[in-house]
Amino acid sequence: MSTTVTPAATLSSASASIASRRSVSIATILKWLVAICVAIVAVFPIWWMFNVVFSHPGVPISINPRLYPTSLSAGLNNILTIFTETDYLRAYYVSVMYTLLTIIGILLFSSMAAFEFAQFQFPGKNLLFGIVMISLMVPKAVTIIPTYLLTVQLGWLNTMQGLVVPGLASAFGLFMLIQFMKSIPAEMIEAARLDGANHFQIYWHVAIPLSKNALITLAILTFMSTWGNYIWPLIVAPSPTMYTVGQVVGLFNAPYSHTTVDIVMTANLLAAVPPLIFFLIFQRQIVEGIAHSGTKG
Amino acid sequence: MSSRTTRSIAHYLMLSPFMLLFAVFFLYPIVSGLFYSFFEWNASQTSHFVGLANYTKVFTSRNFEKATWNLLIYVSITVPLGIFVALSLALLVDSFSGFWAKFFRSAFFIPVVMPLFLAATIWRWIYAPNFGLLNTILGWFGMPSVQFLNDTGTMLYAMIAVDVWVSAGFNMVIILAGLKNVPRHYYEAARLDGASTFQQVVHVTLPSIRPVLFFVITYGLISALQVFDVPWLLTGSSFAEYGGRANALLFPVMDMMGRGFGSVRFGQASAYGFMLTILIVCVTAVMFALRKKFGDA
Amino acid sequence: MSSLQISNAAKAYGAVPILDNINLDIASGEFVVFVGPSGCGKSTLLRMISGLEDITAGEMRLDDRVINHVDPAKRGIAMVFQSYALYPHLTVFENMAFSLTMARAPMAERKEKVERAAEILRLTHLLDRRPAQLSGGQKQRVAIGRAIVRQPKVFLFDEPLSNLDAELRVQMRAELIQLHQRLRATMIYVTHDQVEAMTLADKIVVLNGGRIQQVGRPLDLYDDPDNKFVAGFIGTPTMNFLSARVKDVAADHIVVSGLGGDTAAAGLVIPFAGFDPSIREIQLGIRPEHATIAIDPASAEGLAAKVTLVEELGDLTSVHTVLANGERLVAQNHGRRHSGAIETVVRIAADKALVFDMAGQRLRPAKA
Repeated sequence: MSTTVTPAATLSSASASIASRRSVSIATILKWLVAICVAIVAVFPIWWMFNVVFSHPGVPISINPRLYPTSLSAGLNNILTIFTETDYLRAYYVSVMYTLLTIIGILLFSSMAAFEFAQFQFPGKNLLFGIVMISLMVPKAVTIIPTYLLTVQLGWLNTMQGLVVPGLASAFGLFMLIQFMKSIPAEMIEAARLDGANHFQIYWHVAIPLSKNALITLAILTFMSTWGNYIWPLIVAPSPTMYTVGQVVGLFNAPYSHTTVDIVMTANLLAAVPPLIFFLIFQRQIVEGIAHSGTKG
Repeated sequence: MSSRTTRSIAHYLMLSPFMLLFAVFFLYPIVSGLFYSFFEWNASQTSHFVGLANYTKVFTSRNFEKATWNLLIYVSITVPLGIFVALSLALLVDSFSGFWAKFFRSAFFIPVVMPLFLAATIWRWIYAPNFGLLNTILGWFGMPSVQFLNDTGTMLYAMIAVDVWVSAGFNMVIILAGLKNVPRHYYEAARLDGASTFQQVVHVTLPSIRPVLFFVITYGLISALQVFDVPWLLTGSSFAEYGGRANALLFPVMDMMGRGFGSVRFGQASAYGFMLTILIVCVTAVMFALRKKFGDA
Repeated sequence: MSSLQISNAAKAYGAVPILDNINLDIASGEFVVFVGPSGCGKSTLLRMISGLEDITAGEMRLDDRVINHVDPAKRGIAMVFQSYALYPHLTVFENMAFSLTMARAPMAERKEKVERAAEILRLTHLLDRRPAQLSGGQKQRVAIGRAIVRQPKVFLFDEPLSNLDAELRVQMRAELIQLHQRLRATMIYVTHDQVEAMTLADKIVVLNGGRIQQVGRPLDLYDDPDNKFVAGFIGTPTMNFLSARVKDVAADHIVVSGLGGDTAAAGLVIPFAGFDPSIREIQLGIRPEHATIAIDPASAEGLAAKVTLVEELGDLTSVHTVLANGERLVAQNHGRRHSGAIETVVRIAADKALVFDMAGQRLRPAKA
């Protein structure tokens, strides 16, 4: 991202030229103070969670409020405990597979459909497109129970396909990719056709590489929503063997779980690691992807 | 003609995976949900037509009244507050440039990256009575411990705080993108006309980002009306126990899920879902009508 | 080496006709340019030849094989697009080898064919680059190279030079001519630029309003246009058209009067054998180079004209004038600067004037 001179920056420099030097510095100090405080509020709970994991468990919180980590070995011990003494590792595996398969499925199926909607004319196109777009307005609340019942009828309760497949009909991803693929010049497609590429080859060798950025953004957004999806795994995979990370965390939460705070926080921390890593790597795509869907949507 | 027919077949082949999934896991559930909502449908697997009985049962139940009342208070606070916070953060970030703008943007965005189940759990421990972080801090100032999540007077507000903490960064990013699109000379012209910083925000910034604000408000409303994860995780987190003390954190989606999965009344749950959908579609329609009238800057 | 015949071809989108009654013979090895104003259907015709557009009616034959319904990729044609259509995610080599990759040709064959094409176009040192790292002219050459690799029977060019700056356009024009001489392939080229058409073509096809106006060698179109449209489209500044009355018809000439509304003047004698005496009203087409400003307006015979604009190009001076009846006339002085006079007299080389009927069709003298 380029650093442009932002409007409010011009505002403060404006007041700089008008008002006296002293009032400016007060305004600037205030601005920094607020920004830092908000940053602390935003980041602190995660920092605190980290500290709970990496501190001596015996010391009560009134004496050590966990403002900084105190013991690496305690943290490692917590991680070891959660992996060996609970089903967390299995839940982690389920979550990773659930997320991975959902991302692959959504990228593949919506890009195939988006390619057709964005680049071609065929009978029935407008009708199909209209139905899919109207579905963007339908809230999840109305479909979740009947979808659950359908999954039961299919015998997919507590299965990976039960978790993944119903979530692949994502009109959001389709819409986003259509918007992007519309910008692929028709000549690129025609040139490939003249060069002997068949329909699928045009999709695979031309449309997909040209939509790389949009696909990455969609993959990240899908990752975040799937990894954080709580409600669907909760109902469709109620068996402990199919628990996702979210369910395990929710279970630890339950009032009579007898799980100590350091174990709960370890579960939380480990659940936070993949999205945090993703965010640090793909920050720009995430922020731009969300901003784009907001300003264009 | 034959080459044209084969081309059309190729289009439909590429569309079919998505459209098939969409029909099975989106369109069919909507239709079947409508069907279920007119039937008494319980664990004994016998179903019979009951007309609008499910709707009246839901409508007249005490939980429905409580959930609706909670929702009304929640939505009327969380949406304006959330957007006010997000707008302030966006203006704050926008007043920085270069590294620090990116730094604060990332810091404020971190809560969004966290899965909701995680945020809720962390906050549960922050809110915990006696040894929770917040009560520890209150203790330093000699204040008595507050049962944030168990006192019907504070529960809803404690939850709203979590909600704003979670969603502010998301909306901030969208508003920031809107701010970047405001032409600089608007501010320059306003400054030449002698507008103060505050006046510039009110008379230049806000009108210029009206479409973005409409999106953020509409999206915020729709998701607030479907609130589930956060109150669920802040309370019992199971179908045996949810909604918190005196149902102070009972919301419609939660009530619906409880009827379906807690007491196996899928007919009522489906009816609940449709009533919710009608409400959400109405709200969306009103927002779009408002946008038509005032939105386009 | 391939010839292309198009007979009675038509194209319509629903009820909207785009092209009608297209008949065209393109000989093997010919460089044919389709030229016309935008919206005349020239690009559509090219795309019909390529197969990217269906043909609504008529027939298209390539080497005596009907290709109406042959898949675009199997027609043996290659097309160079206006936007080059190079894939940004592929290197120059991969772009040029794209058709071979799609056909799953062995790597050795790809290498050989691409390298040969790259050598012809002097692209060898650029094969590992990506399109974003190339200049406009280089991209253009890669797009042509991509076509060469396919060894097509016919090359199609869709306004390939319009994205280049003026200087590069001249240079690429010369390169295309050399390429054509070297490959001896049939090439069809679409442009709206009549200079490009004149310099490149063996044969020009002038299109307007979805119909072929005239087909011929560049200078034939210039000297002997079939109608007012072709006469006006080819040549800059454009041909002047003056309405006139036929005063007298003789065996080998006609006398016209009323030029520029000047009824008093004696008639202009135009050589014309076998004029149809029933025609009274005509239009005269006079190229600017055949109209000159008289040196001494006082004594000269010609049309009284008022100068409105003078374009001095050094060697050549174009003088824009308006006649008594409001018709405009552009005259040129070769090697002589304009005196600055406003009221002046234009002399017309009557033997060079072309005669059109009022519908715009050319009237040709009977052959001796």
